[in-house]
Amino acid sequence: MSQAKARSSLAAGSAVALAAVALVASLGLWLAGGFAIDIPWAPTLGLRLDLAFDGLGALYAVLATGIGLAVFVYGAGYLPLHLQHAGRPASDGRRFWAWMALFMGAMVGLACARDLILMFLFFDLTAVASYFLIGFDRERREARGAALMAFLVTGVSAVAMLMGAVLLYAEYGTFSVALLSELAVPGTLTTVATALIAVAAVAKSAQVPLHFWLPRAMEAPTPVSAYLHSAAMVAAGVLVLGRLHPLLALDRVVLDGLLVIGFASIVVGGLLALAQDRLKQILAYSTISQYGYVLVLYGIGGELAAGAAALYVIAHGIAKSALFMTAGTVIMATGEDRLSHLGGLGRALPALALASGLAAATLAALPLTIGFFKDELFFAAAVERGPFVGGMAVVAAALTVAYIWRFWLGLFTGQRRVVPAAIPTLLVAPVVVLAVVAVVGGVLVEPFARLAAGAASVTHGTAVLVTPAYHLDARPENLMAIAAWLLGGLLLVAPAVREPIVRGLARLGEAIGPRHWYGRLLQGVSRLSDRLHAAEVRDLRSSIAAVLLPTGVLVALGFLATPTEGSYIVGDVTAGDLPLMVLLALAVAAAITVPRDVGRLRPVLALSVLGFALGAAYAVMGAPDVALVAVVVDAVFTLVFVGVFSRLPPVTGTIRQPRRRARTIGAGVIAGVSAFAVIWASLSRTPIGPSDATEQVRLTPSAHGRDVVTVILADFRGLDTMVEITVLFVAVIGIASLLRRGRSW
Amino acid sequence: MNDIFAIVAPRLLGPALMLGIAIIVRSYGNVGDGFSAGVIVATAIALRYVSLGWRLAERSLPILRRAPLVAGGGLLFALGTGFAGLLVGDPPFTHHPRAGEGVIHIGTLELMSAVAFDIGVFLVVTGSLVVMVHHLARLVEGHR
Repeated sequence: MSQAKARSSLAAGSAVALAAVALVASLGLWLAGGFAIDIPWAPTLGLRLDLAFDGLGALYAVLATGIGLAVFVYGAGYLPLHLQHAGRPASDGRRFWAWMALFMGAMVGLACARDLILMFLFFDLTAVASYFLIGFDRERREARGAALMAFLVTGVSAVAMLMGAVLLYAEYGTFSVALLSELAVPGTLTTVATALIAVAAVAKSAQVPLHFWLPRAMEAPTPVSAYLHSAAMVAAGVLVLGRLHPLLALDRVVLDGLLVIGFASIVVGGLLALAQDRLKQILAYSTISQYGYVLVLYGIGGELAAGAAALYVIAHGIAKSALFMTAGTVIMATGEDRLSHLGGLGRALPALALASGLAAATLAALPLTIGFFKDELFFAAAVERGPFVGGMAVVAAALTVAYIWRFWLGLFTGQRRVVPAAIPTLLVAPVVVLAVVAVVGGVLVEPFARLAAGAASVTHGTAVLVTPAYHLDARPENLMAIAAWLLGGLLLVAPAVREPIVRGLARLGEAIGPRHWYGRLLQGVSRLSDRLHAAEVRDLRSSIAAVLLPTGVLVALGFLATPTEGSYIVGDVTAGDLPLMVLLALAVAAAITVPRDVGRLRPVLALSVLGFALGAAYAVMGAPDVALVAVVVDAVFTLVFVGVFSRLPPVTGTIRQPRRRARTIGAGVIAGVSAFAVIWASLSRTPIGPSDATEQVRLTPSAHGRDVVTVILADFRGLDTMVEITVLFVAVIGIASLLRRGRSW
Repeated sequence: MNDIFAIVAPRLLGPALMLGIAIIVRSYGNVGDGFSAGVIVATAIALRYVSLGWRLAERSLPILRRAPLVAGGGLLFALGTGFAGLLVGDPPFTHHPRAGEGVIHIGTLELMSAVAFDIGVFLVVTGSLVVMVHHLARLVEGHR
């Protein structure tokens, strides 16, 4: 037990160290000006390993590793307690850290990828890792369902991204984002392709109407939520939008679509966040709402909005991960996860209260936090677009103010309902550090602005300046901020006004919302799959005739339609063919014995005689390689058959179905005759002239070999062999897991 | 169970291993490759499973319990030999020594990356088949 614990904390320590090194490396690379590599890895398919640590890459890499470091430190304190509460062994933690580290790596890779296919790969890698992280408490049914939902919604939508990429490739002949930005021209195809990619991004960033997976995903352990659902997984969607913005901007329709989806997400997420009682649910809906802001900014487009979006992602990532960790710490300390059961924790947990208060202030865009600047830039971009968008921006910010202070005040002020237990320092320190970063950003915003400007330059296509600052005058941004605070404060202190609205919306969403349709769809697909399975098991597997018969008939029809002149040549038979003929006669005799024999073992032995006879025939014909393989494979199959059959219960009575048997014989004869005809015809027309085979025979000595089959397997077609043994390995592990319920041995 | 089988089957592993190694060592010039060698060794191991039962077979030869590791290690090894060239800019599966260059011999063993790849294939095939036989044996004997 103690050894397992030590190995588990070793895993946690390694993950923390990895995140720290990655953060230092990211910051160093950013300050050094970045780098780019571009290696073709499948040139015939136009695939390149095109990675660049440019402005956008730097921002998301620093965010993923920085927030990652804070969350990993938090997780090192959280996970042992979490496993202990669930009664699970400490060794389970190692799996957790492996997936977390993989997720961070995938995120950094996605941040730097500049090739659509590469982006798709990293995108899916994050989805796979998130599946295992959200479903980490796999003994709980809700966790498994949540993991599946997150994986299906983001994974299936990611296919839309692949479709969009292939469409663009078909038109412009490249997957490179940089080249596409130069080549692409406005048109229906470009619009459809970019819209498809945007769908994937919208699902990933949990935007309406594909947002419903995120609240469910709160089944995950808190460190997962604090990482994936603040700065990583959901950020992957807007990262893709930021990278491809020059392409998206080719058609105003796509941008307007983003604008509408963004505002819908802000409103739906914000109102539903006000309706929630569970801490992490409030934050989940808040995330939906907050990424709505970023979508709106990308929808507005232009220099200002690009800079605002970049700074927004930074500020939100810092604040939201701190708030998620606050929620986790409170739940861990009190065992309560409902706002209505909590309150007055400020005196017992002063450091946490202060730090999370600063995080909440960041989200609510109060001055002296970096959050103020995110809203300043947001308002500036919205006002530029027009009065309607500007007004909506104020409403959005007001909703944020209302729900986040409802969260914080509900937790730390008012009447104390539960007494918190003692909590490790590791569950508070990361929150404090992030709060300090948020405040430092509020005073000294220049480094953050520079990071955002670098990213915005990539998004916008040309160099962008991001210059947030405090201005003590009556400019629109300041007035809008004050209006938002006032409106939000009103919403906060007047529950009688907001409650009916938000409860009604929540009920409406449950009844006819997208999550309802997801459930219906999943049930339908499951039913269809059951039906296919039943058909396959009941009708096909038990009577192979159903496959053989149509195949035989189709082949016979094919022969009727093709000229057969010269197709059936009977060659000469010489004395040297005698051994071959004897072996083939043996094979035929064995083949006739197989179906005639009753019982189990004798047909198997007859089959093996057939196999060995054919193997010997290959040897006689001068193909010792094929013969060797045929003999060893036949030996294995015989052994397996004998082994399994010897353990089956004995046959009692006779099982005969005359009608069915006649049908089986008929199908067998038709299939056999047509196979015979096909093989005879193909052997009658041996190809003349150079072929791959003769070329490979000629080249074999230069590959230092004398046996052409060996050289083909290891050298000429080495990649094929590699894929085949990989498939073999995966299949065996799969079979083993099925037989042993998830264990490989 | 037949006495001859019970006596012969467990003793076949030695000769089978020797045959498998011989096939690999002499592989490039002669018939046979990592796949055949792997199947031959796995067949001999399977015979042990059949004759001794899975518990005794694995107790008497504990390395069998490491079969998943052998298969996975072989896969990584094969991957390494096939893709190592990428690091210096060669396409995958560029084997060394190249055409026209001399081959170093140790006895009949040829020091070539293609032979190393073959050894990886051998390990994957042997390991995978042993895993399958193990599970089959457990499944079958569990119902006895």
